[in-house]
Amino acid sequence: MQDSIQVVINGKSVAVSKEQSVLQALNENNLDLPSVCYHPSLGAIETCDTCMVEVNGEIVRGCSTNLSNGDNINTTASHVKQAQDIAMDRILYNHELYCTVCDYNNGTCEVHNTVKEMKMNHQSIPFESKPDPVDNSNPWYRYDPDQCILCGRCVEACQDVQVTETLTIDWERERPRVIWDNDVDINESSCVSCGHCSTVCPCNAMMEKGMEGEAGLLTGIQQDTLRPMIELTKNVETGYNSILAISDMESAMRENEIKKTKTVCTYCGVGCSFDIWTKGRDILKVEPQVEAPANGISTCVKGKFGWDYVNSEERLTKPLIREGDTFREAEWDEALKLISSKFAEIKKDHGSNALSFISSSKCTNEESYLMQKLGRSIIGTNNIDNCSRYCQTPATVGLFRTVGHGGDAGSIKDIEMSELVIVIGSNTSESHPVLSTRVKSSHKLHGQKLIVSDLRKHEMAERSDLFIRPSSGTDLVWLSAVTKYIIDQGWADEAFLKDRVNGLDEYIASLEKYTMSYASEVTGIDEAELIQIAEMIHEAKTTVALWAMGVTQHSGGADTSTAISNLLLVTGNYGKPGTGAYPLRGHNNVQGASDFGSMPDKMPGYENVTDEKVRDKYEKAWGTPLPEEVGLNNHEMVEHIHEGKLKAMYLKGEDMGIVDSNINHVHAAFEKLDFFVVQDLFLTKTAEFADVVLPASPSLEKEGTFTNTERRFQRLYQALEPLGDSKPDWQIIMEIANEMGAGWDYSDPSEIMTEAVQLADMFAGVSYERLEGYNSQQWPVAANGTDSPLLFEDEFPFPDGKARLFPVEWTQPLQFDDEYDLHVNNGRLLEHFHEGNMTYKNEGIKSKTPNTFVEVSPELAEERGLTDGTLVRLTSPYGAVKIKCLVTDRVQGKEVYIPLNDTDDAAVNLLTSSKADKDTDTPVYKELKAKMEILKDKGTSPLPKINHRNGNPQPQKGVMVERKWARKDYIFPGDMVTKEAINYGKSH
Amino acid sequence: MAKAIKQIRRIEVSEEEKRANDLREIEDALIDNKDALLETLNVVGGMKERGILSLLNGLFGEGDRVLKVLVELLNVPENTAALKNLMLLVGAAGKINVQDLEPLLLKVNAGIENVAEHGEDAKKTGYLDLLRTLKDPEVNRSLTLLITFLKGMGKDTEHEEKVNDKSTPSENRQDI
Repeated sequence: MQDSIQVVINGKSVAVSKEQSVLQALNENNLDLPSVCYHPSLGAIETCDTCMVEVNGEIVRGCSTNLSNGDNINTTASHVKQAQDIAMDRILYNHELYCTVCDYNNGTCEVHNTVKEMKMNHQSIPFESKPDPVDNSNPWYRYDPDQCILCGRCVEACQDVQVTETLTIDWERERPRVIWDNDVDINESSCVSCGHCSTVCPCNAMMEKGMEGEAGLLTGIQQDTLRPMIELTKNVETGYNSILAISDMESAMRENEIKKTKTVCTYCGVGCSFDIWTKGRDILKVEPQVEAPANGISTCVKGKFGWDYVNSEERLTKPLIREGDTFREAEWDEALKLISSKFAEIKKDHGSNALSFISSSKCTNEESYLMQKLGRSIIGTNNIDNCSRYCQTPATVGLFRTVGHGGDAGSIKDIEMSELVIVIGSNTSESHPVLSTRVKSSHKLHGQKLIVSDLRKHEMAERSDLFIRPSSGTDLVWLSAVTKYIIDQGWADEAFLKDRVNGLDEYIASLEKYTMSYASEVTGIDEAELIQIAEMIHEAKTTVALWAMGVTQHSGGADTSTAISNLLLVTGNYGKPGTGAYPLRGHNNVQGASDFGSMPDKMPGYENVTDEKVRDKYEKAWGTPLPEEVGLNNHEMVEHIHEGKLKAMYLKGEDMGIVDSNINHVHAAFEKLDFFVVQDLFLTKTAEFADVVLPASPSLEKEGTFTNTERRFQRLYQALEPLGDSKPDWQIIMEIANEMGAGWDYSDPSEIMTEAVQLADMFAGVSYERLEGYNSQQWPVAANGTDSPLLFEDEFPFPDGKARLFPVEWTQPLQFDDEYDLHVNNGRLLEHFHEGNMTYKNEGIKSKTPNTFVEVSPELAEERGLTDGTLVRLTSPYGAVKIKCLVTDRVQGKEVYIPLNDTDDAAVNLLTSSKADKDTDTPVYKELKAKMEILKDKGTSPLPKINHRNGNPQPQKGVMVERKWARKDYIFPGDMVTKEAINYGKSH
Repeated sequence: MAKAIKQIRRIEVSEEEKRANDLREIEDALIDNKDALLETLNVVGGMKERGILSLLNGLFGEGDRVLKVLVELLNVPENTAALKNLMLLVGAAGKINVQDLEPLLLKVNAGIENVAEHGEDAKKTGYLDLLRTLKDPEVNRSLTLLITFLKGMGKDTEHEEKVNDKSTPSENRQDI
């Protein structure tokens, strides 16, 4: 074998794979070597010294020593064991062993397991308490210095994986410990509470608070009894073997009480999956797994800690029926009968197209499939859409025009490995937190280059190599100019264009007007910077483009998306690892909602409703005729209600009355509906307009699949029973259909998926068996189950297999009268999801980010006399908001920014217009201007001191173990035993 | 025209209905577990008779206080030592080879019997008596046995010990 080398392990010659450490080689051969600080996702940290091993006669750290051919390894010699014992002794000096009454005693404690594995019976250096108390200040996790073994995993994760750069170890103080920022309480620091530290902590030092007093059978004991109990356990211990045996028994008994369920996060399109630990209805913790395909050990604050809404008292538990000016709780029977009779009546009186259906990007693929089946097959209309209309439909169109698949070109791994990342109109570290960590980490550690184009200097911009701030809505112009410059310089990928792309000549002709000087004039960016972008793309072997709402929510959103794809085609950045186009999907199942046919023009798998053959296929399978003409998208639905043509709507899992643009106009439409059914967890703003509100169950209470931004199918399993009389959406849709005589009999979601994949060729090989546990599949999936992590490797899905360059023109953004002098940008915050219906149910998030605000620049603050807390009214031609100011240099000049997490007076969509992208009807949320008046001069800051944005990060690479080694009292364990061995030799 | 409304009129379950529902649920559970319940009742009856119920009642009623007293009691040095000894003894008992021990114990018993019978004689034993008794096959067998035992006892068994707090080499001590 070429990839293997020959080494000797404990006297036996063994072949091992090349380029791995001693530790990895031993593990590969099922030989144990203690390794407390080593973590497969963090690599060698070199702090714990327990992996002492002899290589060619010298004692070294097994985790960081790479093997060469012929190496001689000894793991069993007594002086090797002695060196390991010394290292473990130092750990136990820092960690009090009271396993049986420890909440972390769940079989995964590295300290416990290593003591057991090393057959240690007692420690030479007794435990000694550290001078600092437990830090309980953060709402979700605690740090106990007395339990901290200083392995530095948390610091590695914070500095190099999450790259928030809050944690360090102060190696120089007498008793080192982990510190936050420049040694402040956790809650006062820049910590974003992503949870990485508590996930990787090998013991109970950094622990989720949900676990405290809950996880163990004996750990719920009051503190003043617990302490003597710890003392007792320690005093009685007669060597660790018996103590560990008791705690192992206790740990086994815990498994009866604690349920661990794999689920998929619902807070963005990254698709993080993890185990969720529950005891009854209580959520103890979220435990990410190394094998999770999208996120590994990573989470953000919402995924790790934001699940309180599931048990909120505000959850709906019974159907509600409007009666005069109140809702009346009703039983399911009555609600279903009412819905069925109303739907039938409206269909009879006004025709099928008087009804409409809006599916949810938070629900499962199976639920999206059933919703469109209900609309098409039972009611007979194509009036069905989902909320990707509000965000990424323009990107999908741009990709359909050029490369033929409306999804990310590769996986998050491709983004991670790319040499150059271009981020356009995406606040990635707040909107797709875990995905952004891969870019931040590659940029910090592996020389990845980063270009950011945005109005606002967010974290990605701060970290970038080149940050440009083009005038709002002009990205298409600089993208086209850079593409033209690349072609003019002869830097285009000629071979790729010749073999794999159509329409080059026509495209080049269309670029003629996009000269550098024209682009500079329109965008306001220096020519030199634009040339620099072109050079960086030219110099990088691989480039990926990431974009989001800053591109799509514009009059020319689909065109700008197209321009991005054109640029990638011209430079050959498709079809190979580390390249491609990545429109970052905003919600957990934006991709899947469209994939499974909740669109007015497409059946599942993106087949056209106007295609007779396609309709034939579905008519045969479903046994009903299907409507032939394209239906209304949700933007058109609102207009049709106003025109009196649309009478009824069935909407699930979408607070359209807050998240659609120009919500005054949308509310007026809701009021005009004859019959309105809303299905949600809460009585949302939208539900307030409903005639019937149906109580749905969230992800933790049902099974199904989501498809993330990488086109990746992942299964979620049921962790909890539906609360009260709430039901999973698929059951509700089926019951409505059956009430109308459909006769569906799906007993669980896997049967729905089986039916869907038999019809939609694109997903032919998707099955629940193949998606078992943490397995996943990226579409297209062939019938034999082969999936497609990287698209376009051989061909593009067009008849001749070639991509298409698609000429586009710049559309000028919406113009406003001069009195509207402030440009109002808007979007997400890290800690809140969308309008906040779920995240405001979390006390911790509420304490750190209680409400929205408007970010104003220092210049504007100076000019208008604004300070943190000044209450202002912003007025656009469409409405007004009342909101508090926050002065920050993230924005500049007359640019202001409003996070969209408010359902009241400060909801940004009170300001936005009903104008939309010319090709897709996606609202132009980002083309908005307003005027400002001050309502109240002074007030408290809308952002509490304990918000992470007020912190003070301390960037460094990893845990800086060299500083530990430089301590006067540090001696490498290997050196201590070598010396002793010589001594023994003399005296014996 | 459907204006936005927020008020919800809950389904009021009357006290009687709720009670009826609860009772039905309990009834179902009783019937489902008939045998187990009847047997449990016997056990509970026995516990009542012997006063165990009131003992448990007090224990659960004041669980944390009782536990605290108990833990504090156990945590005084004599008691922790007792617990520790107990655990050590249990460990030690496991190591004794009873099969080999039996013949030895029989011999010890015979010795004790002999002392019980003739212990009160208080006859002095001189050097010569001592040498003479070596010829006595019974005494000789005993001595050989004891010498073999002493030899075994002298072997190094430190590596098997469970209680060992000897080593606190100060040069190993580091603040990290």
